Amino acid sequence: MNCPIEDRHPEILVAYAAGELEREIARALERHLADCAACRPVVAGQTAVWKALDTWEAPPVSPDFDRRLYRRIEEGARLSWWERFTRPFRPMPLRQALPLTASAGLLLMAALLVYHPGPIAPVAAQREAVRANQVENALDDLDLLRQLGTADSTEGGHPDAL
Amino acid sequence: MGVAAAATLDYDAELMLRVKEGDGASFGVLLEKHRTSVIHFIYRLVAEQAVAEELAQEVFLRVYRSRSSYEATAKFRTWLFRIATHMALNWLRDQKHERGQEHLDEGTADLPARQISDRRPSVEQKLVREAELREVRQAVAALPAKQRAAVLMHKYEEMEYTQIAKVLGCSDSAVKSLLFRAYETLRARLAHMEAT
Repeated sequence: MNCPIEDRHPEILVAYAAGELEREIARALERHLADCAACRPVVAGQTAVWKALDTWEAPPVSPDFDRRLYRRIEEGARLSWWERFTRPFRPMPLRQALPLTASAGLLLMAALLVYHPGPIAPVAAQREAVRANQVENALDDLDLLRQLGTADSTEGGHPDAL
Repeated sequence: MGVAAAATLDYDAELMLRVKEGDGASFGVLLEKHRTSVIHFIYRLVAEQAVAEELAQEVFLRVYRSRSSYEATAKFRTWLFRIATHMALNWLRDQKHERGQEHLDEGTADLPARQISDRRPSVEQKLVREAELREVRQAVAALPAKQRAAVLMHKYEEMEYTQIAKVLGCSDSAVKSLLFRAYETLRARLAHMEAT
Protein backbone atom coordinates (compact mmCIF):
# COMPACT_ATOMS: atom_id res chain seq x y z
CA MET A 1 0.00 0.00 0.00
CA ASN A 2 1.73 3.13 -1.24
CA CYS A 3 0.78 6.65 -0.33
CA PRO A 4 2.68 9.57 -1.84
CA ILE A 5 2.33 11.60 1.37
CA GLU A 6 3.50 8.84 3.70
CA ASP A 7 6.20 7.79 1.23
CA ARG A 8 7.65 11.11 0.11
CA HIS A 9 6.34 13.83 2.44
CA PRO A 10 5.85 12.33 5.89
CA GLU A 11 6.87 15.68 7.39
CA ILE A 12 3.37 16.88 6.44
CA LEU A 13 1.95 14.30 8.84
CA VAL A 14 4.32 15.44 11.59
CA ALA A 15 3.34 19.06 10.98
CA TYR A 16 -0.35 18.09 11.10
CA ALA A 17 0.11 16.40 14.48
CA ALA A 18 1.95 19.50 15.72
CA GLY A 19 -0.96 21.68 14.55
CA GLU A 20 1.22 23.63 12.17
CA LEU A 21 -0.74 23.16 8.96
CA GLU A 22 -3.01 25.86 7.62
CA ARG A 23 -6.66 25.14 8.17
CA GLU A 24 -7.44 24.39 4.51
CA ILE A 25 -4.52 22.00 4.16
CA ALA A 26 -5.33 20.35 7.47
CA ARG A 27 -8.93 19.72 6.33
CA ALA A 28 -7.74 18.25 3.06
CA LEU A 29 -5.38 15.97 4.94
CA GLU A 30 -8.15 14.87 7.29
CA ARG A 31 -10.20 13.80 4.25
CA HIS A 32 -7.17 11.91 3.00
CA LEU A 33 -6.63 10.25 6.39
CA ALA A 34 -10.16 8.89 6.35
CA ASP A 35 -9.21 6.73 3.38
CA CYS A 36 -5.47 6.15 3.85
CA ALA A 37 -4.41 3.27 6.05
CA ALA A 38 -0.72 4.17 5.59
CA CYS A 39 -0.94 7.70 6.95
CA ARG A 40 -3.34 7.07 9.82
CA PRO A 41 -0.91 5.21 12.12
CA VAL A 42 1.78 7.83 11.47
CA VAL A 43 -0.55 10.64 12.48
CA ALA A 44 -1.84 8.67 15.46
CA GLY A 45 1.73 8.01 16.59
CA GLN A 46 2.80 11.61 16.15
CA THR A 47 -0.26 12.87 17.99
CA ALA A 48 0.62 10.51 20.84
CA VAL A 49 4.19 11.83 20.91
CA TRP A 50 2.90 15.39 21.01
CA LYS A 51 0.55 14.57 23.89
CA ALA A 52 3.27 12.68 25.74
CA LEU A 53 5.60 15.64 25.48
CA ASP A 54 2.82 17.83 26.90
CA THR A 55 2.98 15.88 30.14
CA TRP A 56 6.61 16.84 30.75
CA GLU A 57 6.44 19.83 33.03
CA ALA A 58 9.59 21.56 34.19
CA PRO A 59 10.01 22.28 37.89
CA PRO A 60 9.50 25.83 39.17
CA VAL A 61 12.46 28.19 39.21
CA SER A 62 14.17 28.79 42.56
CA PRO A 63 12.82 31.97 44.19
CA ASP A 64 16.35 33.27 44.82
CA PHE A 65 17.49 32.89 41.20
CA ASP A 66 17.50 36.64 40.51
CA ARG A 67 19.16 37.48 43.84
CA ARG A 68 22.00 35.01 43.11
CA LEU A 69 22.41 36.42 39.63
CA TYR A 70 22.58 40.05 40.77
CA ARG A 71 25.04 39.10 43.49
CA ARG A 72 27.30 37.55 40.88
CA ILE A 73 26.96 40.62 38.69
CA GLU A 74 27.97 42.83 41.64
CA GLU A 75 30.87 40.54 42.50
CA GLY A 76 32.00 40.73 38.91
CA ALA A 77 31.91 44.52 39.00
CA ARG A 78 34.16 44.55 42.10
CA LEU A 79 36.81 42.24 40.64
CA SER A 80 40.30 43.62 40.13
CA TRP A 81 41.85 43.58 36.66
CA TRP A 82 43.98 40.56 37.67
CA GLU A 83 40.93 38.58 38.84
CA ARG A 84 39.12 39.41 35.62
CA PHE A 85 42.13 38.27 33.64
CA THR A 86 42.49 34.96 35.47
CA ARG A 87 38.77 34.22 35.87
CA PRO A 88 38.39 32.27 32.60
CA PHE A 89 41.13 29.88 33.73
CA ARG A 90 39.96 29.34 37.28
CA PRO A 91 36.97 27.03 36.80
CA MET A 92 39.01 24.85 34.46
CA PRO A 93 38.80 21.34 35.85
CA LEU A 94 41.90 19.22 36.27
CA ARG A 95 40.94 16.94 33.41
CA GLN A 96 40.99 19.96 31.07
CA ALA A 97 43.96 21.70 32.62
CA LEU A 98 46.20 18.62 32.67
CA PRO A 99 46.26 17.96 28.91
CA LEU A 100 46.73 21.68 28.27
CA THR A 101 49.68 21.85 30.67
CA ALA A 102 51.17 18.66 29.24
CA SER A 103 50.81 20.02 25.68
CA ALA A 104 52.45 23.30 26.67
CA GLY A 105 55.33 21.38 28.31
CA LEU A 106 55.83 19.23 25.23
CA LEU A 107 55.81 22.30 23.01
CA LEU A 108 58.41 23.95 25.22
CA MET A 109 60.62 20.86 25.13
CA ALA A 110 60.27 20.60 21.37
CA ALA A 111 61.16 24.26 21.02
CA LEU A 112 64.27 23.77 23.16
CA LEU A 113 65.31 20.74 21.09
CA VAL A 114 64.75 22.47 17.78
CA TYR A 115 66.40 25.70 18.86
CA HIS A 116 70.16 25.76 18.12
CA PRO A 117 72.09 28.71 19.48
CA GLY A 118 74.28 28.53 16.29
CA PRO A 119 78.00 29.07 15.94
CA ILE A 120 78.06 32.31 17.91
CA ALA A 121 79.03 30.76 21.22
CA PRO A 122 81.91 28.57 19.95
CA VAL A 123 83.39 31.48 17.96
CA ALA A 124 83.23 33.68 21.00
CA ALA A 125 84.89 30.95 23.03
CA GLN A 126 87.60 30.61 20.40
CA ARG A 127 88.16 34.33 20.41
CA GLU A 128 88.53 34.25 24.17
CA ALA A 129 91.00 31.39 23.86
CA VAL A 130 93.01 33.26 21.19
CA ARG A 131 93.09 36.41 23.30
CA ALA A 132 94.29 34.44 26.32
CA ASN A 133 97.08 32.90 24.23
CA GLN A 134 98.10 36.28 22.89
CA VAL A 135 98.24 37.78 26.38
CA GLU A 136 100.23 34.81 27.60
CA ASN A 137 102.67 35.15 24.75
CA ALA A 138 103.02 38.86 25.32
CA LEU A 139 103.76 38.29 29.00
CA ASP A 140 106.37 35.67 28.06
CA ASP A 141 107.95 38.15 25.67
CA LEU A 142 108.04 40.82 28.38
CA ASP A 143 109.66 38.39 30.80
CA LEU A 144 112.23 37.53 28.21
CA LEU A 145 112.92 41.18 27.50
CA ARG A 146 113.17 41.86 31.24
CA GLN A 147 115.63 39.00 31.66
CA LEU A 148 117.67 40.22 28.73
CA GLY A 149 117.61 43.75 30.10
CA THR A 150 118.82 42.47 33.46
CA ALA A 151 121.56 40.46 31.80
CA ASP A 152 122.63 43.48 29.74
CA SER A 153 122.86 45.68 32.80
CA THR A 154 124.82 43.09 34.76
CA GLU A 155 127.11 42.34 31.81
CA GLY A 156 127.37 46.03 30.77
CA GLY A 157 126.47 45.26 27.16
CA HIS A 158 124.63 47.73 24.90
CA PRO A 159 121.09 46.85 23.92
CA ASP A 160 122.03 47.48 20.25
CA ALA A 161 124.45 44.58 20.47
CA LEU A 162 121.45 42.25 20.40
CA MET B 1 22.44 50.44 15.30
CA GLY B 2 20.60 52.86 17.58
CA VAL B 3 17.64 52.29 19.83
CA ALA B 4 15.17 53.59 17.24
CA ALA B 5 16.49 51.30 14.53
CA ALA B 6 16.44 48.30 16.85
CA ALA B 7 12.79 48.91 17.69
CA THR B 8 11.88 47.78 14.21
CA LEU B 9 13.79 44.57 14.85
CA ASP B 10 12.28 43.58 18.17
CA TYR B 11 11.45 45.11 21.52
CA ASP B 12 13.87 42.87 23.41
CA ALA B 13 16.75 44.04 21.24
CA GLU B 14 15.74 47.59 22.04
CA LEU B 15 15.82 46.77 25.75
CA MET B 16 19.25 45.22 25.35
CA LEU B 17 20.50 48.37 23.64
CA ARG B 18 19.24 50.30 26.65
CA VAL B 19 21.20 47.95 28.89
CA LYS B 20 24.20 48.76 26.73
CA GLU B 21 23.61 52.42 27.47
CA GLY B 22 23.67 51.69 31.20
CA ASP B 23 19.98 51.10 31.95
CA GLY B 24 20.02 48.28 34.53
CA ALA B 25 16.23 48.24 34.79
CA SER B 26 15.97 47.08 31.18
CA PHE B 27 18.13 44.09 32.04
CA GLY B 28 15.66 43.30 34.81
CA VAL B 29 12.80 43.37 32.30
CA LEU B 30 14.66 41.00 29.97
CA LEU B 31 15.47 38.68 32.86
CA GLU B 32 11.86 38.64 34.03
CA LYS B 33 10.64 37.91 30.51
CA HIS B 34 13.04 35.13 29.56
CA ARG B 35 14.23 33.62 32.86
CA THR B 36 11.72 30.79 33.06
CA SER B 37 11.85 29.74 29.42
CA VAL B 38 15.67 29.66 29.44
CA ILE B 39 15.81 27.59 32.64
CA HIS B 40 13.09 25.20 31.47
CA PHE B 41 14.76 24.79 28.08
CA ILE B 42 18.11 23.99 29.67
CA TYR B 43 16.45 21.74 32.25
CA ARG B 44 14.86 19.62 29.54
CA LEU B 45 18.23 19.42 27.78
CA VAL B 46 20.39 18.50 30.77
CA ALA B 47 17.69 16.83 32.93
CA GLU B 48 18.99 18.31 36.19
CA GLN B 49 17.32 21.30 37.78
CA ALA B 50 20.31 22.55 39.80
CA VAL B 51 22.56 22.34 36.74
CA ALA B 52 19.92 24.05 34.61
CA GLU B 53 19.76 27.00 37.02
CA GLU B 54 23.54 27.23 37.24
CA LEU B 55 23.88 27.24 33.46
CA ALA B 56 21.05 29.75 33.14
CA GLN B 57 22.92 32.02 35.56
CA GLU B 58 25.93 31.80 33.28
CA VAL B 59 23.75 32.59 30.27
CA PHE B 60 22.36 35.78 31.81
CA LEU B 61 25.78 36.76 33.15
CA ARG B 62 27.17 36.40 29.66
CA VAL B 63 24.35 38.52 28.29
CA TYR B 64 25.04 41.20 30.87
CA ARG B 65 28.81 41.15 30.43
CA SER B 66 28.60 41.39 26.67
CA ARG B 67 26.24 44.37 26.79
CA SER B 68 28.94 46.79 25.69
CA SER B 69 29.60 44.85 22.48
CA TYR B 70 25.95 43.99 21.79
CA GLU B 71 24.72 44.66 18.27
CA ALA B 72 21.04 44.15 17.47
CA THR B 73 21.69 42.16 14.32
CA ALA B 74 19.28 39.34 15.17
CA LYS B 75 16.29 38.74 17.39
CA PHE B 76 17.32 38.99 21.02
CA ARG B 77 15.59 35.70 21.84
CA THR B 78 17.52 33.92 19.10
CA TRP B 79 20.78 35.28 20.49
CA LEU B 80 19.78 34.32 24.03
CA PHE B 81 18.87 30.77 23.08
CA ARG B 82 22.03 30.44 21.04
CA ILE B 83 24.03 31.15 24.18
CA ALA B 84 21.83 28.82 26.25
CA THR B 85 22.06 25.99 23.70
CA HIS B 86 25.81 26.42 23.40
CA MET B 87 26.30 26.25 27.17
CA ALA B 88 23.98 23.29 27.65
CA LEU B 89 25.44 21.28 24.78
CA ASN B 90 28.96 21.97 26.07
CA TRP B 91 27.94 20.79 29.52
CA LEU B 92 26.38 17.64 28.05
CA ARG B 93 29.53 16.96 26.04
CA ASP B 94 31.70 17.33 29.14
CA GLN B 95 29.44 15.07 31.18
CA LYS B 96 29.05 12.43 28.52
CA HIS B 97 32.28 10.62 29.23
CA GLU B 98 31.96 10.88 32.97
CA ARG B 99 28.41 9.96 33.67
CA GLY B 100 26.83 8.45 30.59
CA GLN B 101 23.12 8.35 30.89
CA GLU B 102 22.83 7.68 34.62
CA HIS B 103 21.43 11.11 35.37
CA LEU B 104 18.25 10.34 33.48
CA ASP B 105 16.75 8.54 36.40
CA GLU B 106 18.06 10.89 39.05
CA GLY B 107 16.04 13.94 38.14
CA THR B 108 12.70 12.44 38.98
CA ALA B 109 12.85 14.11 42.38
CA ASP B 110 13.08 17.49 40.62
CA LEU B 111 9.67 17.09 39.10
CA PRO B 112 6.83 19.06 40.56
CA ALA B 113 3.78 17.28 41.77
CA ARG B 114 1.70 17.05 38.62
CA GLN B 115 -1.56 18.92 38.57
CA ILE B 116 -3.95 16.26 37.53
CA SER B 117 -7.68 16.66 37.16
CA ASP B 118 -10.07 17.33 40.01
CA ARG B 119 -10.77 13.67 40.31
CA ARG B 120 -7.98 12.35 42.47
CA PRO B 121 -5.98 9.69 40.67
CA SER B 122 -5.59 6.33 42.20
CA VAL B 123 -2.17 5.15 43.30
CA GLU B 124 -2.05 2.92 40.22
CA GLN B 125 -2.86 5.81 37.89
CA LYS B 126 -0.21 7.91 39.56
CA LEU B 127 2.39 5.20 39.18
CA VAL B 128 1.50 4.67 35.53
CA ARG B 129 1.75 8.38 34.79
CA GLU B 130 5.08 8.67 36.52
CA ALA B 131 6.37 5.70 34.55
CA GLU B 132 5.12 7.25 31.32
CA LEU B 133 6.70 10.56 32.15
CA ARG B 134 10.01 8.85 32.83
CA GLU B 135 9.74 7.15 29.45
CA VAL B 136 9.14 10.48 27.75
CA ARG B 137 12.15 11.99 29.46
CA GLN B 138 14.33 9.06 28.55
CA ALA B 139 13.13 9.04 24.95
CA VAL B 140 13.95 12.75 24.58
CA ALA B 141 17.28 12.37 26.37
CA ALA B 142 18.25 9.52 24.05
CA LEU B 143 17.99 11.78 21.00
CA PRO B 144 21.23 13.22 19.60
CA ALA B 145 21.92 16.54 21.32
CA LYS B 146 21.14 18.74 18.32
CA GLN B 147 17.87 16.92 17.58
CA ARG B 148 16.95 17.22 21.24
CA ALA B 149 17.61 20.96 21.27
CA ALA B 150 15.57 21.37 18.07
CA VAL B 151 12.60 19.43 19.49
CA LEU B 152 12.66 21.39 22.75
CA MET B 153 12.72 24.74 20.95
CA HIS B 154 10.00 23.63 18.54
CA LYS B 155 7.68 21.95 21.03
CA TYR B 156 8.08 23.98 24.22
CA GLU B 157 9.36 27.35 23.03
CA GLU B 158 7.17 27.34 19.92
CA MET B 159 10.00 28.67 17.80
CA GLU B 160 9.75 28.76 14.04
CA TYR B 161 12.10 26.75 11.84
CA THR B 162 14.00 29.88 10.84
CA GLN B 163 14.62 30.88 14.44
CA ILE B 164 15.73 27.35 15.42
CA ALA B 165 18.03 27.32 12.40
CA LYS B 166 19.67 30.55 13.56
CA VAL B 167 20.12 29.21 17.08
CA LEU B 168 21.67 25.97 15.85
CA GLY B 169 23.62 27.61 13.05
CA CYS B 170 22.15 25.54 10.23
CA SER B 171 19.68 25.92 7.36
CA ASP B 172 15.90 25.84 7.62
CA SER B 173 15.81 22.60 5.66
CA ALA B 174 18.36 21.06 8.01
CA VAL B 175 16.09 21.96 10.93
CA LYS B 176 13.09 20.39 9.18
CA SER B 177 15.11 17.27 8.66
CA LEU B 178 16.37 17.25 12.27
CA LEU B 179 12.87 17.66 13.62
CA PHE B 180 11.35 15.04 11.36
CA ARG B 181 13.99 12.47 12.33
CA ALA B 182 13.62 13.34 16.00
CA TYR B 183 9.82 13.05 16.01
CA GLU B 184 9.94 9.80 14.09
CA THR B 185 12.44 8.39 16.60
CA LEU B 186 10.17 9.51 19.43
CA ARG B 187 7.20 7.92 17.70
CA ALA B 188 9.04 4.61 17.51
CA ARG B 189 10.07 4.80 21.16
CA LEU B 190 6.76 6.02 22.52
CA ALA B 191 4.45 4.15 20.15
CA HIS B 192 3.13 1.94 22.94
CA MET B 193 1.77 5.01 24.72
CA GLU B 194 -0.53 5.67 21.77
CA ALA B 195 -3.24 3.41 23.09
CA THR B 196 -3.28 4.92 26.58
